[in-house]
Amino acid sequence: MTVISAPAGSGKTCLLRAWAGPSQARRFVLVQVERGQQDDQQFWLALLGAVRHATGSYRGAEPPAATPDFNAPAMVDRVLSELADADGGVTLAIDDLHELHSAEALAQLTRLLTSLPPQVHAILTTRHDVPLGLHRLRLAGDLAEIRATDLRFSERETRELLDASGIALSDSGVALLHQRTEGWAAGLRLAALSLVGHPEPERFVAEFSGSDRTVAEYLIAEMLERQPPHVQDLLLRTSLLDRVNGELADLLIGRQGSEQILLDLEDANALVESLDPARTWFRYHHLFADLLRLELRRTLPAEIPALHRRAAGWFSQHGQVAEAIRHTQAAGDWPEAARLLADNSFSLTLDGQAQTMRALVQAFPPGANHPELALVRAGGDLAQGRLDEAAAHLAVAKTYAETAPPERQRRLQVAAASLQLSLARRRGDLAGVIEQARFLASPVTGRSDEDIALGSDLRAMALMNLGTVEAWSLGVSDAERHLREGADLAQAIGRPYLEVGCLAQLAFAYVFHSADKPKAHAFAKTQRRCHEAIALAERYGWGAEPVIAPALMTLAGTMVLLGEFDEGEQWLWRTERALQTDTGPDVRLLVRQTAGMLQAGRGRHQKALEEFGAARRLASQLEGSQALASQVTGWLLATQARVGLAGEARALLTELDDEQAGSGEIRNARAVICLAEGNPAAAMAAVADVLDGTAPVLGYATVVETQLLAGLAHRAVGDQRAANEATERALALAESDRLVLPFAMTGAADLLEALPRHQTAHGALLTDILDVLHGSSPAGKEQSSFPPADELSPGELRVLRYLPTNLSRPEIARELSVSTNTVNTHLRKIYAKLQVRNRTSAVRRARELRLLAAPRTR
Amino acid sequence: MDAATAPYMIRVKGHLGATMLCAFPTLAPNHHGAHTILTGLLDRSALYGVLAEIEALGLDLLEIRKLSQDPKSPGTR
Repeated sequence: MTVISAPAGSGKTCLLRAWAGPSQARRFVLVQVERGQQDDQQFWLALLGAVRHATGSYRGAEPPAATPDFNAPAMVDRVLSELADADGGVTLAIDDLHELHSAEALAQLTRLLTSLPPQVHAILTTRHDVPLGLHRLRLAGDLAEIRATDLRFSERETRELLDASGIALSDSGVALLHQRTEGWAAGLRLAALSLVGHPEPERFVAEFSGSDRTVAEYLIAEMLERQPPHVQDLLLRTSLLDRVNGELADLLIGRQGSEQILLDLEDANALVESLDPARTWFRYHHLFADLLRLELRRTLPAEIPALHRRAAGWFSQHGQVAEAIRHTQAAGDWPEAARLLADNSFSLTLDGQAQTMRALVQAFPPGANHPELALVRAGGDLAQGRLDEAAAHLAVAKTYAETAPPERQRRLQVAAASLQLSLARRRGDLAGVIEQARFLASPVTGRSDEDIALGSDLRAMALMNLGTVEAWSLGVSDAERHLREGADLAQAIGRPYLEVGCLAQLAFAYVFHSADKPKAHAFAKTQRRCHEAIALAERYGWGAEPVIAPALMTLAGTMVLLGEFDEGEQWLWRTERALQTDTGPDVRLLVRQTAGMLQAGRGRHQKALEEFGAARRLASQLEGSQALASQVTGWLLATQARVGLAGEARALLTELDDEQAGSGEIRNARAVICLAEGNPAAAMAAVADVLDGTAPVLGYATVVETQLLAGLAHRAVGDQRAANEATERALALAESDRLVLPFAMTGAADLLEALPRHQTAHGALLTDILDVLHGSSPAGKEQSSFPPADELSPGELRVLRYLPTNLSRPEIARELSVSTNTVNTHLRKIYAKLQVRNRTSAVRRARELRLLAAPRTR
Repeated sequence: MDAATAPYMIRVKGHLGATMLCAFPTLAPNHHGAHTILTGLLDRSALYGVLAEIEALGLDLLEIRKLSQDPKSPGTR
């Protein structure tokens, strides 16, 4: 790794560009940090895009897209895996790192830089030392540092530079110029620009040398003076833009022909450079731009606000809202800037620009009171999970909306209602959601396209929020209808983020649908919907973002229900990774609950207890979701009883209200407690209402559990025949979906083993369940190491190599440039040949057979 | 940490002309030999703003000093 740390104008970028030259055999990734970059998502997307462009991966795929809930650690993982896959050496160059004003981005960058694959060389340029934790690299001798003195031109190099520009200067002239500029690259370059074609170069150098003015100011003035007036005019007036194109420049100088001037300036190497291969966008060398800006401020101060206003208008027309707001602020039009920000806060949030918005809000003068900003602040709070602060800001915004001018009123009210809806959803407050969603009833009307677009955005978002809360509070059919409508609308208006969000919640809603009563392969269908939602998310690079978490979590949960514990664990792990940036209690509740189910299914009750306890604490933060709360509470109590804490469980039981205590889930828990206390008769009494179908249950899995608990109670009083009948009824219910978890959680192995094979119509399921129960108990038998049934093909071996990674099947397919179907086929054959049922055991088996590198612990 | 406004003197190399001085509207310039001395009242964040300008403009920072609040010597020696 190389760090180039030197002041402005030392030639850092020039050096980088020279290294990036076409003769290099290595792939060169160049990322230019934008001026004053505060948005770490934009920085990382630019970096990922540059890596993909340079390595040629993902050709034809969707470009990496921003999301409202950015997951930086997952992004770093993605960049690392793409770099690791690039063939041959890669140089990753990050220019102007001092412009990155995000502590989070710098922290993640440190992680990237300290975990780079060996074939990647990183180069950073910065004006000052940036706080990156690179001491480890420095100690290991893996860090080269280039500083200002290293970049300084020697007298001989000064001569070579002038010769290359065709400037004839005496030796003493060169010496004088070198001494005056102290070998500073920007100074020499500026001097060379003025010296090219200068009638009296010696006199120029002598006068420059005799002046006490700073090098940059003297030389820029000289250079400007040598330009024709219309070029000077263009340079000055466009200096207030970070980047400029011909059209925008024409607008600012009020004259045509700017593009040609910009092209000529770049060709003359005059501190202007194009930003794209088509040469339509340009930027000035930073130091040059800063000096031009000062000159503009000195010579035309009165025109500056008008110039900013014109630029704002252009950016606004071209959909670059953040830039438009920045120029409106620079023009000093604060109320207008606040209005623009409030009007666009919703679409900026959906575009993943929350951090940019925060920076824009902070740019308002302190103390100035712009009530419209309350709306923007509420959105920011919500995005970061600060629900109470969001509510406070929303209250201010709503009060203001009531007194706003009529033409603003409806817009503000709709935006406030939308935020209120998001807030109610995050709190699981069903009543609040239904009240806020009433504005959906009025059709989307508006005078402009913009109003209609905003209306559609709001509508799709509202449908997502409404359907989500309905799914969580188990109004399942409404949830399906609203989420489906939301997904269709989102697709129609080109909002993939909302489409993915709706489909992810839809997958979650289906779980209740399939859990309702036994149906053939209902969980398999739910899993398919999860996979579809996940595949769409992955197309946009959001496979590990919070938006897809409900589908990931649903997939994990159904796998655990079906006894596929190892795969379930992997999906659960992916869900947790996706939720690193989201702090809301809703999805986390289910993640902890699923983790508890997994532990309980594996017979690790102590760990299950921790997970269920955490889930219940999260449930208490939600206003709705009573049914879910009884599920997690029921399992918590049952697990307490199983680890010998029946007393605690009883105490908790007495605290529950009648409605909860009457649910099938809590009745089951009461039965487990009674069994633990050695009172099977009381256990039977506890579940009587579930068995006769009068107690409400969350899903039929609860009834399977009840049957098994009844079986255990019968067995405890020595009634083996009744125990067998109850077990058989449990198997019959579980058969259509091949539900395994209730058997594992209740410890039903003895019941199953005692059931005579000729007495059951579900022999195959019974054997499968016993396999899972024995395979997953901590004392379970190790797999025998018989040789594989058949040699693996080269294609299968290639897929096998990816199995120990965290990549999903579609991700592996992309890595190998094959279709997901091909990967699935290979996987099926790998599993068959290795005689395993899932990924984890395939990896273990492959290691035993030395088909993979042996793990370090062996 | 002292966040209050205080008089500072900042010495940079070279004579700053009218253009460069636009970057430091709150500071009074004085040429001192081949250097420029900028003096003025700054609080902490204004001070760091000035330092950022000096860095952005590629100026050579030679000295920076907080002056005593003594009314007899406001920024001059």
